[in-house]
Amino acid sequence: MAHIPDGILSAPVLIGGGIVAAAGVAMALRRLDDRAIVRTAILSAAFFTVSLISVPLGPTSVHLMLGGLMGIMLGWGAALAVLVGLALQAVMFGIGGVTTLGVNTLDIAGPGVVMGLLLGPAIRRATGTRRGVLAGVAGAGAVLGTGALVSLVLALSAPEYTPVARIVLATYVPLALVEAAITAAVVSFLARTEPAALEPSGAKR
Amino acid sequence: MILRVLSVLAALLALSVPAEAHKLKLFATVANDRVSGYAFFIGGGRAEGVDWSATSGSGGPIASGKTDDQGNYAFAVPGPEAAPVTVSVDTHEGHMASVTLGAERFGGAPAPAAAPEADPTGTDRDAHMAALVEAAVARQVTPLAEQIEALQDRLRYADILSALFMIAGLAGAGLWLSGRRKGEK
Repeated sequence: MAHIPDGILSAPVLIGGGIVAAAGVAMALRRLDDRAIVRTAILSAAFFTVSLISVPLGPTSVHLMLGGLMGIMLGWGAALAVLVGLALQAVMFGIGGVTTLGVNTLDIAGPGVVMGLLLGPAIRRATGTRRGVLAGVAGAGAVLGTGALVSLVLALSAPEYTPVARIVLATYVPLALVEAAITAAVVSFLARTEPAALEPSGAKR
Repeated sequence: MILRVLSVLAALLALSVPAEAHKLKLFATVANDRVSGYAFFIGGGRAEGVDWSATSGSGGPIASGKTDDQGNYAFAVPGPEAAPVTVSVDTHEGHMASVTLGAERFGGAPAPAAAPEADPTGTDRDAHMAALVEAAVARQVTPLAEQIEALQDRLRYADILSALFMIAGLAGAGLWLSGRRKGEK
């Protein structure tokens, strides 16, 4: 899935992905205040843990990524949370790779940040079912965006590894539904108990 | 809020202990010039119905197909191979793995010095014996090799914990830095 190992992607893709990811992480660092540091660390730990748990699904196996949730709760900070989680997974378990850190960060955090920026304000304003539905859309959209980005970077650099659209859909659509449910549940819960948790740092400034 | 999130994390962690990363791996073993093995996800079961292919380092495909419902594949290598043979699998959604088998495992390139032709019967017997020994050793070693393969990538509880504490440490360092910056102002 989104843990592309070393030695598959071509140099231009690796460098391009690295630059975009670095820009995203720079944005996250600029907005990092005391409040954001703690929240980013918590979500980074959550991302690190859930993306280690994989479930077999036909020819492949899938794991949660929480991209949409991170985008809603952290905004740009999602890039930093994902980078830290992926770096630790690559160094400690050899999952993903060191050269692909940038691309993998982009693949996972990018769609999440976009979803957070697009839907975040509406989610924070909405109430009840509407809020849950919007959060679900953000969760599912982030997963599908990750699927699209993974397919794109593979197609751009290694034609023989280009994913087959039918299989990608069969893999990512069930995951998107699960992520939608989880994102909706977590966001609805936080909105009831701790609405401030849904504000990325900087949103109030 | 933080406490609540931490307790959820702890619950996830407890769940994750028996689970392992999902990373596609390929197991391969050679016996009597026949390569067999399976594709599996670390902790996530076998990869079923996945395209596999074998290519020779000296160029050209040897065999290809789809793994069965146990993730198995097998093919024969007709003659001695001069170059390593690479087996790869691709799930066509972003997972791929490959394993390279050295030429020496096919009785190929670094072949033992040819025996003198004067004693053909002796050479035949030796060759036959060598094949038998090789088959027996392969049979014994295969389960071990499988275990090593699986062990190598097993996630360890201590590793997961240390990563989580590493994140906490990073957060602490970040807070310390930002506190120092404020102090300077």
